[in-house]
Amino acid sequence: MSDAGQSPMIALEGVSKTYPKQSKPAVAELNLQVPEGAIVTLIGPSGCGKTTILKMMNRLIEPTTGRILLAGEDVTDVNADQLRRRIGYVIQQVGLFPHLTIADNIAVVPKMLGWDKRRVASRVDELLHLVGMEPDDFRDRYPRQLSGGQQQRVGVARGLAADPPVMLMDEPFGAIDPITRERLQDEFLEVQRQVAKTICFVTHDLTEAVKLGDRIAVFAARGRLAQYDTPSEVLAHPADAFVAEFVGSGAAVRRLSLLQISQLELAQIVISGAGAAPKDQPVLSVDGAGRPSAWHHVPGSERPPALVTVPLSGTVYDAVDVMLDGRAPVVVVVDDDGRPRGALRWDALVADLRPNGQLR
Amino acid sequence: MTAAAPARAPGWIRRNRDLVATPVIVVVGLAVVLVYTANRQLDSVEQRALDPSYLWAKFGEHIWLTVASTVVVIIFALSLGIALSRPAAARIRTGTLAFGGFMQALPAYGVIILLAFLLGFGTTTAIIALVLASFLPVLTNTVVGLLQVDPALIEAARGMGMSAKQTLLRVEIPLAVPVMVAGIRVALVLNVGTATLATFIGAGGLGEPISSMLYLGRGQAVLVASAIVAALALVIDWLAGVAERLVSGRLG
Repeated sequence: MSDAGQSPMIALEGVSKTYPKQSKPAVAELNLQVPEGAIVTLIGPSGCGKTTILKMMNRLIEPTTGRILLAGEDVTDVNADQLRRRIGYVIQQVGLFPHLTIADNIAVVPKMLGWDKRRVASRVDELLHLVGMEPDDFRDRYPRQLSGGQQQRVGVARGLAADPPVMLMDEPFGAIDPITRERLQDEFLEVQRQVAKTICFVTHDLTEAVKLGDRIAVFAARGRLAQYDTPSEVLAHPADAFVAEFVGSGAAVRRLSLLQISQLELAQIVISGAGAAPKDQPVLSVDGAGRPSAWHHVPGSERPPALVTVPLSGTVYDAVDVMLDGRAPVVVVVDDDGRPRGALRWDALVADLRPNGQLR
Repeated sequence: MTAAAPARAPGWIRRNRDLVATPVIVVVGLAVVLVYTANRQLDSVEQRALDPSYLWAKFGEHIWLTVASTVVVIIFALSLGIALSRPAAARIRTGTLAFGGFMQALPAYGVIILLAFLLGFGTTTAIIALVLASFLPVLTNTVVGLLQVDPALIEAARGMGMSAKQTLLRVEIPLAVPVMVAGIRVALVLNVGTATLATFIGAGGLGEPISSMLYLGRGQAVLVASAIVAALALVIDWLAGVAERLVSGRLG
């Protein structure tokens, strides 16, 4: 593992769990280290023990053997209730208390920790702002008055309430419709940029694991850690046949979403009317503001193709998406002001994509 | 929030319009019986039985039997119900509830008289008999109310660091209260009715004028005493219903 020098925020050492009346362990001899400030996504097929592993981290499930370390401290035998107040916990069903207002739901852990009223109230408002909900509108509402997406935002805010260094999240976006889920994921990454927690995130959705995880832990049956690496490594170099099969045939396409356009070398574009163009370079017409209006000439095609653009901040996945959608062999990359910065060509993209997901 | 209060009142009244029926029936029914009785010629036996101070004393005994037995039921059945709802009690839960059902099936008339032979005649025995007769609804509703709390809420509570006791007090019981109150309401109404049997073991109550006048063939007096018991049962049921609506309105 590459984080050898850094002390991990969460460490599981030789952790096993055997449920009563079962001969085989659900999780056997697991070693896992989660570096500070990282999002680690735990993924694997149903019944692989990923939720059991997550729940052993805050001892909702007590491990049969092994040690759990939190920031270097052995917490295997400390008071479990007090331990959990130091660890944020967010679940798929959200679990907001229906008889408490949104503010009271968020305030549960701070109140247990004995914060004074004013500090709790200002923390509630701060967290509602953080998850993009106006405190004046939502503070005094009850959970049933909120949509599923709003409820899970509150769930995340509640998990962050006492500013714990560690968050455990059990498929928090699993029961939310795909469009809202994607927005919540984006917001979640934005929140994480601000709070920089150490996060363990269980999911069964590989796209989600790739998108959110700094690292992915892929589990096979009985909690065997099959691979633990960055998303691009897991996708490009599956450790074994199990991971390869789990990652599946979509791996090459998924990798595209990890490639930022800004990291690529773009093809030159000539702006039409700016002097004589070499025959082998595409020529683009622009409007008065300097934004692309149409292709003037594209090498290798009789008639200029439809004009499609992609922002420089996007990924190769986005570029491929608009090219397929517009049936265009080339896409113009534009900056924030809409001015062309270069082009990505389909043939070059396909030819230069190496198995490791890098270009050139 | 103060600004919203006046605007909310009419809505509250509109939503609870159905609660008006019971008081109207009680008042009109009692008035009809009393006016009818007042216009009848009563003999000395009937006059003694319908003497307001005598009826008032019996009414007081009846209320005492009902309230005392219900309070005892609440204390014991709620505690036992909470204990039975804990995961550790899962094995004995079904058996205990089945035993409760068996006790419930015994006719109160038989139980009250058998207990009198065991424990002696009097108010205490009557209260014990009433407790036995109304124990099950409160016990069952407590267990059911606590078990129907969404397990995800309990997991969330424990996951946030609430102890088992905090989870019970702050999450499970508040969410089970509407179901528990419904059980207590059933117990109250059962006790109002069953308390009329207390007279057979010398514990008084409104059963006394009913049974004695029935024995002496004074139908008019029986009618009045019975109407009072019926009205009392309706009023107590109504009050418990209002209480039930108040707690579930806040929580539901």
